[in-house]
Amino acid sequence: MAGPSLLDRRLLLVTGKGGVGKSTVSAALALLAARAGKRVLVCEVNARERVAPLLGAPPAGPVIREALPGLSTVNVTPQESMREYGLMVLKFRTIYDAVFENRLVRYFLKAIPSLAELVMLGKILHETRAEERGRPRWDLVVVDAPATGHAVQLFRVPAVLMDTVPAGPLRRDAEWMRDLLLDPAKTALSIVTLPEEMPVNESIELDAQVREVLGIPRGVLFVNALPEIRFPPAERERLASLEAEPPPLGPAARAAVLQARRAEEAGHYAQRVLAAVDLPAAVLPLLALDHWGLEAVERIAEAIEAGLGSRS
Amino acid sequence: MGTIVDSLAGKRIAVCVGPGGVGKTTLAAAIGLKRALDGGRVLVCTIDPARRLAAALGLESLGNFEARVPAHKFAAAGLAPRGQLHAMMLDVKRTWDDLIARHAPDRHRQERIYQNRIYQQLSSALAGSQEYMAMEKLYELATERDYDLVVLDTPPTAHALDFLEAPDRILDFLGNETARLLLAPALGAGKLGLRLFQLGGSYIARTLARFTGSEVLRDLAEFMASFQGMYEGFKNRAAAVRALLAQPDVGFVIVSSPGPLSVEEALYFHEHLHAGAMPIAGVIANRVTPDLWEAGGPLPGAEALDPLLSSRGEIAPGLALRLARTLAEHQAFARADAREVRRLFAEVDGARAAVPRLESDVHDLSGLARLAAWL
Repeated sequence: MAGPSLLDRRLLLVTGKGGVGKSTVSAALALLAARAGKRVLVCEVNARERVAPLLGAPPAGPVIREALPGLSTVNVTPQESMREYGLMVLKFRTIYDAVFENRLVRYFLKAIPSLAELVMLGKILHETRAEERGRPRWDLVVVDAPATGHAVQLFRVPAVLMDTVPAGPLRRDAEWMRDLLLDPAKTALSIVTLPEEMPVNESIELDAQVREVLGIPRGVLFVNALPEIRFPPAERERLASLEAEPPPLGPAARAAVLQARRAEEAGHYAQRVLAAVDLPAAVLPLLALDHWGLEAVERIAEAIEAGLGSRS
Repeated sequence: MGTIVDSLAGKRIAVCVGPGGVGKTTLAAAIGLKRALDGGRVLVCTIDPARRLAAALGLESLGNFEARVPAHKFAAAGLAPRGQLHAMMLDVKRTWDDLIARHAPDRHRQERIYQNRIYQQLSSALAGSQEYMAMEKLYELATERDYDLVVLDTPPTAHALDFLEAPDRILDFLGNETARLLLAPALGAGKLGLRLFQLGGSYIARTLARFTGSEVLRDLAEFMASFQGMYEGFKNRAAAVRALLAQPDVGFVIVSSPGPLSVEEALYFHEHLHAGAMPIAGVIANRVTPDLWEAGGPLPGAEALDPLLSSRGEIAPGLALRLARTLAEHQAFARADAREVRRLFAEVDGARAAVPRLESDVHDLSGLARLAAWL
């Protein structure tokens, strides 16, 4: 990874296939940074909010709210972002209200493709560069981005607009947004995957798109929920012959055989993605937890720290 | 209650819905395979560029056309279908283009729309576009072909609602009255190039132009202009699709994994299908961790396993401890899964199937047939 280490950047984008653990990894990255004394904001993008609840706090909604000391979250929505953006462009609330609170205009704005993505991304990037009393408002902004396809759509918006929109307010915004997204000193896009066939395929394709289409500096590959190798192959074979035994031995042998197969298959997919995606990687353990909350986030944070500690 | 297969028995259309990453595509194929084995002429239509599905079906690749699974692939899997299985992959852009060609009054208008930047974004990138086209294709397949069953595998939507609302939302966009009002002078002039910066000349239009740049408004005006007269056709068609989905020979199959988030999303989906009076055939919980300790009671510690292992000559160091830990973890996963499956099944009408996490991925027709046995 070129440039500063991951947590020393200003903007961390986290994406991957649906259900691979993006929110947990985002929350864990934010937790690590906050514990290092940084002021951190985690943005979810028009999602069913997960990060604040994972940290044991109530959902923030579309207005920034502190979940833990030094760690705030927000759910960025098109409506609220449009309002903020409109106010910024038009300067005066009276004009905004007259124009944007007009039912017909609201309807019309919905019809412009990519405008919702642009204002949401605009809100996130605006927070990243905002200053208060001569210093940045946030040391780090973590974006728990939408799943693969939607994330590429979202992060492509500035470049697409620069291709299609001539000089004007939209284009000026697209320009600074693109510059920030492409700045290796400030920004990194990380991919989360599971050691399973479809998520691995999708991650490999996503990584190619990040390099070839988006051009956003790449961060870290997180291989999540990897079961540990606990039973060597020869032992597994012998345990398989004990599966038919009565309890407790039979079920215990069966569980071991299933674990061993799963670990082997997962190991195979992990190797594949690690070989295909040329990025620093952090391998995160499969956690057998009954409840997925702050404890899970803390354990994932420890694993990230251990995995990245030496290299970044 | 019956099985998923039973509850789809009289249906001509099965729509698999649910969150992404739960194995929807594979289950859609398994549902299709089952009916084909039983004698039906079946088409599975997927939106995922799932090369693995193509491979599992013995097809080189899937495209925007219907391809029949060859007989020798069935034979190789030891299967003797009494019907036929076909598969295709939906190409969203192509389906849009076909739809425009169908509704455009002439070739010139068709080309004008294809060239418009707003259309290009709409047909490839606009949220909901995939969902709308999936519905559109389904209608075409259901009304213009003679399959006994069409199984539609729906795109993984960011929001459960997208699927049902997308057609309306995009029709809103196409028939946007606001745009007509604001852009009316430009539209009426017919010579857009000359009237570019006049955009109604109104206060609102000028302020909007400051917000978006006037080029965007021009593109939009042009798009709206070229769409004039076509909106009714689109609207009628969407209404027909909607009506088709509420027919009794349609069955929605909700697919979920036992993950809490998946289940939440699946329930959300169920709620909206239910509210929209859509016929729900059943729900599938996929990749459920099996319960290995059905008798219940406390799980064995290492000390209970150790003598049993030694008596069978297993004396590897720490083996009893590793086994006890592995069984305990397995059961923790199984308990969590069972809790989520109960939550899912409690809410949903129709057939229910819990498919255990199979020991290996589904790679071929015999794998799909094994999966289908759980439905």
